[in-house]
Amino acid sequence: MTGLGDRILGLFLLVVAVAYGWVAQQWPEPFGGAESVGPETFPTILAVVLVVGSLYLMIKPDVDAKWPVGESALELVISIVVLVAYALLLEPLGFIVSTTLAIGALSWRMGAPLRQAFLTGLISAVAVFGLFNYGLSLSLPNGLLGGF
Amino acid sequence: METVGFLMDGFAVALTPYNLMFALFGAFAGTLIGCLTGLGPANGVAILIPLAFTLGLPPETAMILPTSVYAGAVYGGRISSILLNIPGDEPAMMTCLDGYPMAQQGRAADALAISAIASFAGSLIGTIGLIILAPVPARFALTFGPVEYFALLLLAFATLGGITGKNPMKTVIAAVLGIMTSTVGIDISTGTQRYTAGVLPGAGASLGSFISYTLEKSVIGKKGRFGEGDIRGVVAPEAGNNGAASGALVPMLTLGVPGSGTTAVLLAMLISLNITPGPLMFTQNADIVWGVIAALLIGNVLLLILNIPMIGVFVRLLSVPPMYLLPIVTMVAFVGIYSISHSTFDLYFMIVFGVGGFILRKLEIPMVPIILGLLLGPEMEKNLGHALILSDGDWMTLWSSLLAIGLWLVAGLGLVLPTLVGPILCRRMRSAVKEDLVSD
Repeated sequence: MTGLGDRILGLFLLVVAVAYGWVAQQWPEPFGGAESVGPETFPTILAVVLVVGSLYLMIKPDVDAKWPVGESALELVISIVVLVAYALLLEPLGFIVSTTLAIGALSWRMGAPLRQAFLTGLISAVAVFGLFNYGLSLSLPNGLLGGF
Repeated sequence: METVGFLMDGFAVALTPYNLMFALFGAFAGTLIGCLTGLGPANGVAILIPLAFTLGLPPETAMILPTSVYAGAVYGGRISSILLNIPGDEPAMMTCLDGYPMAQQGRAADALAISAIASFAGSLIGTIGLIILAPVPARFALTFGPVEYFALLLLAFATLGGITGKNPMKTVIAAVLGIMTSTVGIDISTGTQRYTAGVLPGAGASLGSFISYTLEKSVIGKKGRFGEGDIRGVVAPEAGNNGAASGALVPMLTLGVPGSGTTAVLLAMLISLNITPGPLMFTQNADIVWGVIAALLIGNVLLLILNIPMIGVFVRLLSVPPMYLLPIVTMVAFVGIYSISHSTFDLYFMIVFGVGGFILRKLEIPMVPIILGLLLGPEMEKNLGHALILSDGDWMTLWSSLLAIGLWLVAGLGLVLPTLVGPILCRRMRSAVKEDLVSD
């Protein structure tokens, strides 16, 4: 089936729109009684527009984009894992160590030779650390290199 | 000529050594960011916004920095168009058409110098236009009621969407998603809690999606080819781009409605500085407005001085392979966000937005209307609410004035026309350029 991506998106958005619109109807009447405009007025309009939009997408989807499959999808997942690991390790390991590892890993996955990748990581990590810590006096975590 | 007086005051603000330093830094950093493969002005400004906050810059400096980055990035984007045939953003595509073939003929330096001069002329004219025009809509806007403002906001979505998206329906969806996100929190007029959750960093979204996207591009690897190599093909879009860059600031400063993706980011910046853009800003924050305008002029001069001798440096920078460059840029963006809050939680947010942005990009849901919706949603709801209260709930009030009807019409046209006219125009321009070449 062509336009599968858009159809799935349409279905997803339809669920979002209905949920969003339904929640809006549940709010209690504001203090002082109902007026012509309540907290639900604007959300309700948005929900209706989104329902129309999502139905349109399902009925008239665009041609599917080329989704990354196989190896490139794996590479993307790896890079996300690297970024999450970076966020996890930034504080315990400190900026220089974790940034060296992250840039090294990403460069390597993008095709750089292992040694050069991590060397680039180290140099740029030290440069950015220097710039932020000393140039801009914004402290980045020291971590393992505590005495810096 | 009170405008001239204001402008002089503006120069006094912009020419202080402190502000001048930031303008210079901004113009340089902007050019650098602009010429890094595909980073583009909006992301450049977004990367540097955290810096303005963490350094605790005063409001006028905090605005001057991103404005100069903007001017620099618009120019920098041309460097990658000309040398690599990779347009940094949509407007740069026109420069690719003829700039890249010139580079292939060994005339890269010519093309770069010409585009520097054309950019300068274009942005100078644009800025002068800004000076003359800026107070006009501001005065005009004071007569706007909520009905007209609501229509104007719709117009902003429609015109911006028309530029950024292929499928107008997807633009509408993107805008609605952004506005929906903006309704999370407490309803300003009644105090009702709505969809309460966390606060969402919008700049991170655009950045994240860009990074994942280019990462994928470089993994898969693809190249496009454009035009033939005519000097005029470089001059015209360059001058136009920079003129438009200054032009896009007019509605942002005067009406609080951004005219492009980058100005949307600048708007976010203003709002976070507790400055409400719009007609009142010209009276309440005159020093900032005119300081920014003066900074734009100075920035353009700096850029011209900077660009021509620095071309060699930028060229060398571009030869850094993306496999080294992109990870570094990613990390710098991370650090920028981290340094605001010192919380790794925001980094997870960025990753989630990056993945989400990537998927949306693949589905051709444009990013700009989402960010715009996030920013303008509250304003839209407020004006709609006021209009309806004034009319006692009569919805026909939205079409009650000629001005409002006009804005609605233009909005409708703005949404639909580009998809109809765009392809025709492109074809015409192509054939016009070809005919010119033949007649030479």
